[in-house]
Amino acid sequence: METKKKKHKVLLEGPVQPSFIADSIAKHSSKTDIGAHAIFLGQVRADAKEGKAVKAIEYSAYPEMAESILSEIREDLFSRYPITCMHIYHSVGTVKAGEISLFVFVSCKHRKESFDALRDIVELLKAKVPVWKKEIYEDESHVWV
Amino acid sequence: MKINILLFGVLTEVTGETQLQVDAENIHDLNDLHTWLVKKHPGLQDKTFQYAVNQAISSAGHPLQAGDEVALLPPFSGG
Repeated sequence: METKKKKHKVLLEGPVQPSFIADSIAKHSSKTDIGAHAIFLGQVRADAKEGKAVKAIEYSAYPEMAESILSEIREDLFSRYPITCMHIYHSVGTVKAGEISLFVFVSCKHRKESFDALRDIVELLKAKVPVWKKEIYEDESHVWV
Repeated sequence: MKINILLFGVLTEVTGETQLQVDAENIHDLNDLHTWLVKKHPGLQDKTFQYAVNQAISSAGHPLQAGDEVALLPPFSGG
């Protein structure tokens, strides 16, 4: 199926907009062999550290390696699960507390494999993709985490 | 000919650099490069990171040649 081979640009500048997520869902209405969409959204948390709250996270990446690792993860997942299509978007740059920084969208015939695949993708992504975050606090100080 | 070095995350702050270059003549593998880097930027000594050579994670003895791209990757924290 063509959708399996398509190369996606994974890294997006700034937050993932809710309207982008809605549009992505809408684009699948013609793929009527899909019975289950599983979506993971990572949101920036306003953690408090030493009395200061996180107001934003600044993400940076090694873009070429991140894109190639993500495409390996895609290949791996397609070989292990009956996935109809898969989309992964990760923010780079500044994402404020409450905004979305990660959007993983996997579609299958049935719910079980969509849940399993989704969990796998998110865990592999966290472990293997060269992305880093810097927490920016209310007083403009920062910490790499 | 040079080896190109990329730094990421907290390592850019430790070294004040995002990119470095070194003459490939005296650098034969990652051990040599590590020694050179720590001498130039002693702050790297206490930091946890792994190396990628031409975008593939590589271990200490990995050979290097002119034109290689070596990245210093602190622990990932995406998501």
